[in-house]
Amino acid sequence: MSDAYSAADRTRGWGVLAATCIIAVLPLVFRDSYWRTNLIVCALNVMLAIGLDFVVGYAGQLNLGQSAFYGIGAYVSTLLIMRLGLPFWPAFVCGVVASAVSGMALSLFAVRLRGHYLAIASLGFAVITYQVLLNWISLTQGPLGIYGIAPPPPFGLPGWQIDFTDLANLFYLVAGFALLSYVLLDQLVRSPIGGTLTAIREDEVSAASLGINARLWKVFAFAVGAAIAGGAGCFYAGFVGTLVPDAFFITESFNILAMVIVGGMGTLSGPVFGAILLTVLPEFLRGIGDLRLIVYGLALTLVVLFMPGGIAQALRLARQRLMRSSPRQPSGAKP
Amino acid sequence: MSDAPAIFRAHGLSKNFGGVRAVKDVSLVVAPATVFAIIGPNGAGKSTLLNLISGVHPPDAGTVMFDSFDVTGLPPHARVRHGLARTFQKIRLFKQLSVIDNVVAGFHARHSIPAWQYVWHGSAFRADRARCRAEATELLAFVGLSGRAQALAGALSYGEQRMLEIARALATAPRLLLIDEPAAGLNAAEVEALLERIRVLRERGMTVLVVEHNMDLVMNVADRVLVMDYGEPLFEGTPAEVQVHPGVIAAYLGAEP
Amino acid sequence: MLTVALQQGINGLVLGSLYVLVALGLTLIYGVLVQINFAHADIVTLGAFAAYFFTHALGGGYLPSIALALLVGAGLGFLINAAVFAPLRERGNELLPLIATIGVSVMLENVMLAWFGPIPYAFDSPYSDEVIRFGGMFFTVQSVLIIAVSTAAIGLLYAFMKFTFLGKALRAVAQDRETAGLMGINPNRVIMLTFVIASALAGMGGAMLGPVLVLTPFAGASVIVKAFAIVIIGGFGNVEGTIIAGLIVGLIESYTTQVLGPGLIDIVVFALLLLMLAVRPTGLIAERREENV
Repeated sequence: MSDAYSAADRTRGWGVLAATCIIAVLPLVFRDSYWRTNLIVCALNVMLAIGLDFVVGYAGQLNLGQSAFYGIGAYVSTLLIMRLGLPFWPAFVCGVVASAVSGMALSLFAVRLRGHYLAIASLGFAVITYQVLLNWISLTQGPLGIYGIAPPPPFGLPGWQIDFTDLANLFYLVAGFALLSYVLLDQLVRSPIGGTLTAIREDEVSAASLGINARLWKVFAFAVGAAIAGGAGCFYAGFVGTLVPDAFFITESFNILAMVIVGGMGTLSGPVFGAILLTVLPEFLRGIGDLRLIVYGLALTLVVLFMPGGIAQALRLARQRLMRSSPRQPSGAKP
Repeated sequence: MSDAPAIFRAHGLSKNFGGVRAVKDVSLVVAPATVFAIIGPNGAGKSTLLNLISGVHPPDAGTVMFDSFDVTGLPPHARVRHGLARTFQKIRLFKQLSVIDNVVAGFHARHSIPAWQYVWHGSAFRADRARCRAEATELLAFVGLSGRAQALAGALSYGEQRMLEIARALATAPRLLLIDEPAAGLNAAEVEALLERIRVLRERGMTVLVVEHNMDLVMNVADRVLVMDYGEPLFEGTPAEVQVHPGVIAAYLGAEP
Repeated sequence: MLTVALQQGINGLVLGSLYVLVALGLTLIYGVLVQINFAHADIVTLGAFAAYFFTHALGGGYLPSIALALLVGAGLGFLINAAVFAPLRERGNELLPLIATIGVSVMLENVMLAWFGPIPYAFDSPYSDEVIRFGGMFFTVQSVLIIAVSTAAIGLLYAFMKFTFLGKALRAVAQDRETAGLMGINPNRVIMLTFVIASALAGMGGAMLGPVLVLTPFAGASVIVKAFAIVIIGGFGNVEGTIIAGLIVGLIESYTTQVLGPGLIDIVVFALLLLMLAVRPTGLIAERREENV
């Protein structure tokens, strides 16, 4: 039994190492700023998607408010930097905390709601947040937006510094945080907390009969998912340099959900692929003009209809088919 | 048996559902390491009573005492820490999880892992994981599901699912186990295996509260029986007393073929 | 003073009746399927665009354009049910259809963005300019038209549900699909009929909302959030509740629009929705049922 666990642990260790190598190499392969920009967007979307998967795929809560947490992180950190002169990293922490607290608030509020009602409540939260960002002009400058946001300050010792105006370095930073978020979530999921969340997802009543305080753990899941989105928001502001409420319209929530579902809900690695695919695919379709944004909706609909487990399910099926066609497969194989 | 302190007392429990009186003024006292059965025809309020005891519904009136603790106001998940576990009339397994993961889910309240080790899986984490795995395997052996540990819970037969639900409830290390209509849908051999398990649990010191519709099964294993009808207690006594009580026969046995 | 209040009240009823048209569709679908069609918003938008192009590009009459929008809505409802809800019915997962309709909605919105662009279209109804004076108050013929058409549609629907066989079949399927099937009612046909009616209402509502709203591909989205609020306040699946709630929301909007802007109205309505969800998720009128496990 313990062999199975250490084998799984080792596979994951190799996976993290491989991911680190890929991240290190990517900016060397893609040297133009157009593609480096896309890489950073990919990394941001990966963070948003895995954060949402923790809530939707593991805890089973259909949260349509991820765009709100993204925006709260971005605006809180930016306003603290530009209005109060806070340095970047303390502002980053504040942004993450603000998003986490918002996530907890939404979850506490919606704690008795199931399924459709929760979806609508979270959507309502996203709409209200967007309208507040849009209309509280004295605070956020509304649709005019906030300009001239600086990227994170240079890091390191005088004489040898990592400058984040260089897109490659910014990518390393964001992708590094994305990888860190992934590892954090993966560790949580493979601990008893993962089983607890899954129990809540499958059947809250019987989960309660096992001593699981569903309310507490749902709030926890929301807080973690929102915190990661908030962190992504802080990086987004410094990356784009401009902050407008429209970046956090409710369609953003739908797009992130699409990344989770297309990648494979409840697998954590699936949404990584989903995020990368749905970020990159529209770029390859630039030939068909504005119609390319249709990939989000089309992919989501087709996946739900024909392969609800997403890319993760497709990979699993492919692997099973490969193993079945292998001639060296013994007949009574142990699972 | 009556000298031993009661592990569980319910007093004056009542519950209305939108005008329908599901349970009215039910009281019971359960001694430790005994099997207490609640029987009655369909609609007698047995399952509602179980829901009141386990905390799924708050009672309109009455109290529930576990040892000396008043647990009446506690939500279901809080009662587990007092040693209460239950199964459900309609099987509520985690169908997408494997058989063994269902049982492991029951260890939720019993992990001894420092908070930071949930993120960084240190030695305490690994020790706890091994312990849970070993205990879960034992429980599966106890209910006769040893070979099925990796199967999906949804793939089990009905009888196997019932036993899995019991194993999962036992994983919480309860002192009082509530079983809701366990024999429904089981064949004769499965029922006998179930009764045998209940006897073994009693020998090991566990208290079992069984709600059952079928009287014959219960007569072979219960120490005391409460008969309910139309939400009210009709009679409480030993199985022998219940079998000859005229009121019970009129209300219930008379309908049996 | 009273005249102003009364005028705003009537404007609120006009607006509210349009919201009712849109919300009724949602509540009917939920009643029969226990599902939410997220693409409902886009049916409203497409109805508005269909009416717009019929009147402005093809020079058709306004009233016929409403009929056209109705048909467009009906057709879309048919397609969405056939392509998305019917195939997913056997799966049993209660949230997959909702997610699929989110996908459809995003798709439709991006298609509309590509075809129509993000710049708002000025949908002028010929009736918006003609004014009737009555007791010191001004009404556009458009408002009268809206009230007339909406009332007729809602009234017909109500009569249909209460008095015709099909209407009763619809209510039967909503209450207990299996038993209705056993009684000889084909639930799939009834569900399809429900979808067609619901979406036709939405299309019609879109045609009449076109002159009132900012007509972009996201026009429906701005209405749908209020429609959700209405359906939740009135109670999912509860027709009478939806009608009352819709009119109330219209009134609220009319009375507060002078004080707050349109964006803040959304906040007010949504705050009300969240309040409703916290306090009484089953709606104002529906009864609370406890579930025995």
